[in-house]
Amino acid sequence: MYRIRLHGRGGQGIQTGARILASALFVEGFETQDSPLYGAERRGAPVSATVRAARAPIRERGLPARADLIAVGDESLLGVAAAGVLRDADERSWLLIRSGVAAEIWRSRLGRSERVATFALEVEEGAELPLVGAACAGAAARMLGVVSRASLESALERELAALSAQARAASAARAFAAWDELAALAGCVTEEPAPIGAPLPRPDWVDVPLDPADVAAPDIRVPLTSVQVRTGLWRTLRPVIDDALCRRCSWLCSSFCPDGAISIDPDGRPCIDYDHCKGCLVCAAVCPPHAIRVEREAGRATEPEKVG
Amino acid sequence: MSDADEPTRYRRMQDLPSTHLLGSGTSLCAGCGGLGAFRELYEVLGERTVVVNAAGCMSLLATHPFTPFRGSWLYSAMASAPAGAQGVRDALDILIAKRRIPADEDLDVVVLTGDGAASGMGLSATSAAIDRGLDFIYLCYDNEGYGNTGQQSSASTPHGARTATDRGPRGYPGVKKDLFALWVANRPAYAATIIAAEPVDLARKVEKAKRMKGPRLLLALAPCPPGWGFDPKDSIEIGRLAVRTGVWPLLEYADGRVVRTKHYEPRLPVERYLERQRRFAHLFEPRRDEQTLAAIQTAVDEACARVT
Repeated sequence: MYRIRLHGRGGQGIQTGARILASALFVEGFETQDSPLYGAERRGAPVSATVRAARAPIRERGLPARADLIAVGDESLLGVAAAGVLRDADERSWLLIRSGVAAEIWRSRLGRSERVATFALEVEEGAELPLVGAACAGAAARMLGVVSRASLESALERELAALSAQARAASAARAFAAWDELAALAGCVTEEPAPIGAPLPRPDWVDVPLDPADVAAPDIRVPLTSVQVRTGLWRTLRPVIDDALCRRCSWLCSSFCPDGAISIDPDGRPCIDYDHCKGCLVCAAVCPPHAIRVEREAGRATEPEKVG
Repeated sequence: MSDADEPTRYRRMQDLPSTHLLGSGTSLCAGCGGLGAFRELYEVLGERTVVVNAAGCMSLLATHPFTPFRGSWLYSAMASAPAGAQGVRDALDILIAKRRIPADEDLDVVVLTGDGAASGMGLSATSAAIDRGLDFIYLCYDNEGYGNTGQQSSASTPHGARTATDRGPRGYPGVKKDLFALWVANRPAYAATIIAAEPVDLARKVEKAKRMKGPRLLLALAPCPPGWGFDPKDSIEIGRLAVRTGVWPLLEYADGRVVRTKHYEPRLPVERYLERQRRFAHLFEPRRDEQTLAAIQTAVDEACARVT
């Protein structure tokens, strides 16, 4: 059985990518399962989707204990512990990263001896979103080596039917470009026999004692606990205030930030709280002197996470 | 001079509160127009509130164990937030009458609900609360669909908008339910339409509502980036266009009549608002749907002609 996981951010079409991959495998005669995991979080937040495929009926349920292939649509997620990109990866697992950085550099960054591949895909501003997911599906399909180009094409048609003709064509072109790019690795990912019935470790929550009320129900007893949630991890683009251009108007960016992530310091200067800025960029859009520029978060992937 | 006649504190952007009372770190979408409106409202209303939240997008505000509130939050099923508010109001009144809490520790009871609950399932509970003259503020964030579950059509979806359940070439066949008119017909203490993109107008209306007693409606149009199909950074711009085209006139009902609180003349053509959102893209591509565009423009013209 193949067990494949795709990672990306909400809005990048990762769930669609998993569906395309599962569909292509289905056309090839596999039994398939695909299941996204995104909790209550939204656009920009880490999401993953799992695909299982086997020639025999699939009786496994839930999250697989390990993955044969982990495809990462957004390299900035590798620096985000909460995204769990490397969970359940062992020395047999292949790691595929959408990145302009070479595979050997990723190997040394991640401390892996082998089995890391990359593919390049620049997504221009304003492009329709499923591009990234479709490209991951194309690349993953090639690495499995059991999906034909025709099956991938048929899966793309089926799963992208709801999009405009232009968006469909663009996504398909990206999927095939990634497919072509990974030709040298065709078939490198191999099936792992199903560990059905393998004894599972006893879950560690069984003996958790009851917490006192102020720990178990802090939302009743303590205000503003939400600031502990670092929604800044969602950001793919970062607003940066240019101090020289800022007119200290002290209200527009701060008043319009939906998350209240811009405060005004005593001398009237706005200050962005990057732990919570989700990168919506409303502040940059409303700033009259255009004093807020937009930078990509990518490249910050290997910065260590700040704790607390 | 009674409290209600006091002149407003909010005339310019600089008069708005500069401290953000609502905690950041909530898992609402980047650029959420509903969160923007609620945050602005909370800053004016202050922390002495009990928020009774009907299930919907804003369920994500307080996801255990995290809360962005400084006071209490009560979660209810979609249909029953006004009933929950009655219980909270009664409990406060009884505690004050029995002198178990001093009268100056009274709290404002605020219902927080989406348009799906407000104009659908929760309408009878709302209607009954108005009948009983319940002393509460009712904030509806109107994102014109069931936003929390993928933007299915609600009774509040505008004519012609494409949603997850109306994917055909003509979009939603119905007409947006006029929740404001429903409230006004029942003679509440106060009713107003607001939007995050007009924070001074919003603050003034919240300030006014806060000084009153009885059922008070604040109806906020909530531009929804994923549901309506626009880039999160355009959230405020889309809101401004809604007001400037007359799609979302800023209204106020008090003393038996409805007035417009903010005039933008001449109004922009509705197309300027519609063409920025993917949910209306089928009105422009592959060819302009002149008939539907004219029908939408006529409906807006007529609605604007009814109020001065």
